[in-house]
Order: sequence, then C-alpha cells, then structure tokens
Amino acid sequence: MLDVEIRERSAGHERKRILDTLVEIGAERGYAETTIVTIVERAGLDRSAFDRHFRSKYDCFLSAWQEINESCMREMLEAYNSHEDWPDRLRAVVSRVVEGLLADPRRASFAIEVLAAGDAARARRDMTMRVVASLIDAGRNEMEDPEAVSHTTAEALAGAAYGQIYSCVARGYPEELPKLVPQLMSAAVMPYLGINAALAELAQGFIPTERYRRDVAKKRTPAKRRESTESAEGYPPELARLPPGRHGLPREFVTHNQRERLIAGLAEAVAENGYSGTTIAHITRHAAVSRRTFYEHFSSKDECFVAAYDTVMSELSERVSEGFKEASDWPHAVRSGIGAMLAFLAAEPQLARLSMVEALVAGPVVIEHYDAAIQSFVPYFSSGREGRPPEVLARLSPTTEEALVGGMVSLISRRIIAGKAEDLEELLPDLVEFTLTPYLGSHEAAKIAREKD
Amino acid sequence: MADRTPQVARALPGRHQLSREFIVEHQRARIIAALAEETVEKGYRAVTVSDIVRRAGIARNTFYENFSSKEDCFLAASEYAVESALTRVSDAAAKVDDWPTKASVGIAAFLRYVASEPALARTCIVEALSAGPAAVDRYERSIQAFVPLFQLGRKVSAKGSDLPETLEETIVGGIFWILYQRIIMGQVEQIEGLLDELVEFSLTPYLGAEAAKRVAVETSAGAATG
Repeated sequence: MLDVEIRERSAGHERKRILDTLVEIGAERGYAETTIVTIVERAGLDRSAFDRHFRSKYDCFLSAWQEINESCMREMLEAYNSHEDWPDRLRAVVSRVVEGLLADPRRASFAIEVLAAGDAARARRDMTMRVVASLIDAGRNEMEDPEAVSHTTAEALAGAAYGQIYSCVARGYPEELPKLVPQLMSAAVMPYLGINAALAELAQGFIPTERYRRDVAKKRTPAKRRESTESAEGYPPELARLPPGRHGLPREFVTHNQRERLIAGLAEAVAENGYSGTTIAHITRHAAVSRRTFYEHFSSKDECFVAAYDTVMSELSERVSEGFKEASDWPHAVRSGIGAMLAFLAAEPQLARLSMVEALVAGPVVIEHYDAAIQSFVPYFSSGREGRPPEVLARLSPTTEEALVGGMVSLISRRIIAGKAEDLEELLPDLVEFTLTPYLGSHEAAKIAREKD
Repeated sequence: MADRTPQVARALPGRHQLSREFIVEHQRARIIAALAEETVEKGYRAVTVSDIVRRAGIARNTFYENFSSKEDCFLAASEYAVESALTRVSDAAAKVDDWPTKASVGIAAFLRYVASEPALARTCIVEALSAGPAAVDRYERSIQAFVPLFQLGRKVSAKGSDLPETLEETIVGGIFWILYQRIIMGQVEQIEGLLDELVEFSLTPYLGAEAAKRVAVETSAGAATG
C-alpha cells in the first residue's frame, strides 16, 4: 500500500520535472527546435521516463500548456474573487495576469512559442479566453439596462487585451506590461460604466495586487469585510451561489448505495459552497455517511468530484445520443441532441453548475475529464461534413467542431453563472443556428432553428 | 472548385507600365492566391513550397525569383491583404463627410472585403493570432495600419486627448479577434452581420453609447439597402 503511494508520488514528481524542463527549453528554443532528447537530458532522466508519461513531444507540449492554462484560470478566478465590486475584480484579474507574466518570464515566452504546436494549442488558449470574456461580460450587471451592451463587446475586449499583452511579451518588452494595465482597464470599463470611470482607471495607474489589496481593505467597512471572508474561499460569489429554483437531485442519484450517496452529497455540497469552499466534512454531512466511509471509496475530494462529474456526463451523453438518434436527418438530429442537453441541464440546475462551471476550476484531474467530455461531442458535429459540397468543406477548419462545442458550452455556462440555468431551453434556437451555420449556411440553419416541434 | 480563385489573382493595381513588370506582379498575385488556398485546405504549417508551386501552376524557380521562402510569401500575402483592405476602407470613407459615418462605413467596407476574400482573410487573420512568435510582427503591422483611421475620432470626442493611449489598438485588435473567432468556427458568411455590434463597440469610446448605437443602426440600414 505504502509502496504504491510512494511510486505514485515519485511518478507525479517525474512528470512535473519533465514538464518544467519542457517549459524552460520550449521558451528558449521554440516548438520546432525542442527535442525529446534535450528535454530528458536537461531533466536528468532517461528516455523511458519520458515515454512513461507522454506519447510524443506534441503530447508533452500540450500537457504543459494545459497545466499553464488551468493554473492561469484558477489564478484569475481567485483574483476575481478577492474583491467585491466589478471593476475592482477585473482590475485584480488583469494585474494578477501581468504580475504572473513578470514573475515567470519563461512561462510567458512558452505561452507564445507553444502556439506553433498547432490548432490544439490555439483551441486551448481560446477556451481560457472565453472565461476571460465572461469575466468582462459581468460588467453588464452594473448597468441600469444589462442588455444594453452586446456580448461581442466583451469578446472583443478580451481578444484585444490578449493581443496587446502577446505583442508586448513577444517583442521582448515585458517590463512595459504594468503600464498597459490601466490602459486595458480603461477600455474595458468604458462600455459598461462610461467615460468617467474609464478616465478614473487611467488616473489610478498600475497598482501591484498586494499593495492594492491592503489599500482596499482599509477603505472597506468592517461589516462588509466579515461578509467577504465568509464566502467560499477563492471563489467568485456568483459562482458559489446556489442557483435559484429546484434543489432536488435526480432519483437515480438518491440510492442507498454509499458511493452514489457520496457523489450526490458532493453535488449538493458543491452547489452550496462552490468547489473550493467544499470540504470532505460537507460531503459526508450531505451524504450522511462517516468520514471513514468516504475514504473507503475515494482518496480525495478531487477523486470524488471526478466520479460525480463522470456520472453527470455519462447521463448527459446518453440523453444527447438518444435525442440525436430520434431525428431522421443530420440537421434535425443536431437540433434534438442540443434540445436533450438543454432539457437535462435545465431540469438539474445543480448538476448543470457542477458539470459546466465548477468543473473548470476544480483542478487538473477534472480538466482532463472535462476535455474528454468536450471531445466526445465533436463527432456529432463532424458527421455533418458528410455529403457537403466541396466549397462548404473548404470553409471549415480542422477545429471547427471543437470551436462549436466550446462556443456552445461557453454560452451555456454563462447562463448558469447568471443563475438562469432553468431558462436554458430558451437557448435552443440560437445554439442550433450557431452550430448548423458552418455546414448549411445561415439561411437554412436559421430555418431549422426556428422550426416548431 | 474552379471558381475559387481569389480576386487577388486577377492582377494587382497596375502601377507598372512595363509589361514584364506587370507579369511579375501578376505572378506574385497568383502565388499569393495559391498560398492562401493551400493554407485554407491544410493549415499554414503543413503547406510546402511544392504545394504552392503546384497550385499556382508555375515553376519552382519562378517561386524563388519572387520570394525567398514560404514565410516571405506569407508576409507578402499579409501586406497585400492589409493594403487592399485599407484601400477599400479609405474609398468608402472618402464618400461621406463626418468622422462617425466615415468610421462606420469603413468598418462595413472592411467586413465586406473579409467576407469576399475568405481564403486570404483566413490565412492572414487566423495565422497572425495562432502562429507563435513569428506571427507577432504581422499582427502588429496589420493592427497599426488601421489605427490612424480611429485616432481621428479623438477630434470629435469631448475628451479625445484624455482617452487611453492604446484605445485604437484595442478597437482594431478587438475587431480582428472577433473575425478570427468567426473564421475559426467556419462562420465567414456571418461576418457582415456583425456590422452593428462592431460599429457600436468601436464608436462608443468616442461618442458615448447612445450616439454610437444610433450610428450603428444607420450604417447597417444603409448597408442593407445597398
């Protein structure tokens, strides 16, 4: 038992050493010039160690990139949650990103070099960018009419900020980054809070987050402060808040089976406290089992979450696949597949949150499963390529399907974050049109999207 | 398939009187078009000089008379695309008087151009944002080319000189990012439909949200009627 543990720990250590070395070498030489031989040599390991963990150089680059994206996402959400008001939250996010790049220039260069690895690296970055866009998009809640600004604005602002940071780092002037922060913030708050707030951002200049945290803490009233320390740690309150409406778990989940009870307990605890605020004590309380029972089934909270995630996703996949099979042609199959997905998520808001929102911040192990789940939806769309005329096929890129699933998931999770999981079915026409357009053209796609059942 | 030759191939503006030079220019355009088509089919990284030569129907030597490498050819494609887009934008803007209208018909002309040259647009915009360090210059150059058009907006804004220094880069970069996303998703044909939202996004900093929205509505009404 102990042996296994030690072996596992040292395997994890070995993997980490390879990834760290890869980031170092990748940052120096770029994707094309990095070889497995150089990696293992510098890491002081042999080739078989590399092969134990990675299938290829490409696989190794993508794994390192995946981990950087995850930790970046976690840091951003943590920064976002370190403040209560929206522009402060966003400022904390931008400052944290910039400070991270300054603190670890190798990582910054790696982030640029890795894009040369191809579409998958780019697609991964774009997933992170969707999260960034939704943090900017939260600015609409500060407006009298939250629908006054289009969602495209947040997407554009996120992309533009990325472009400026990318350019600054790639041209070798990372020290200019802090100066960029007030500029980016000013542009980002303008559509939501107006010109005066935008000018105030400029006047404020760049404030390092540590000092910034102290300054803001001084300004805050004690009552407000207490409230903030009580909310789930490292978590934006809107992510941690329980979605309004039904809290019941599906019948399938409430069984006398201990493992399933623990999974259901975790789903409830996470809905209540957010993933990072959930402790094993919360889970065992909801499941009404002992701590010992927990450890008989799972070694950690992560492992329990993965089990819960997989359970939800296999249920979801089954519904989607049934929905897909119901229809006679591909466009209608897509429509009924998406319909089945939305119906399930709307009926189970807790599980919707768990699978579409919490999974993104729950940790590296979960992200792998999340990625696999995303990939499992790709074939539904790629089968739409069959029989399309060559000019349509020429228009599709190798990652169109991945982008479609990513875009769809991002729209869905935005709704869930806003506490509107129960209205998810309203998204059906938009999602159908959005996903069918690349294959059928916008006219035909819109027609199918608006059809009545 | 046969009709997919981008307009690029139909000769570049004839600055040169000498026919030999014209032929050279024409060849360059054909090679650029071939690069764009190959890139759309297999992705920039996978394209080889042999692919380009085959598609353009020229000798390998001819390629190397015009370009030193695939990368060099790519740079030329990107410069050509930016230049053509700029010409269309300025032509459209010259026809109207006030800056807000100039900016918005300019955006409309830009979107129309991108939609009319999907292969070239995809090659330039997608590559600039996904090819690592080699792409950064191309990204910078394309952005900077459009920055002055928006800078004029500071003159009509009450707080023009106070606005963030990099505001125009944010606007142009934002538009590029949105186009990049739509192209990646295979939604090139929806690009012109973004007019409304992009005009609003670009003009709000200068005019305020309400006036920007008004211009956006007027421009897309104008674009719809012709």
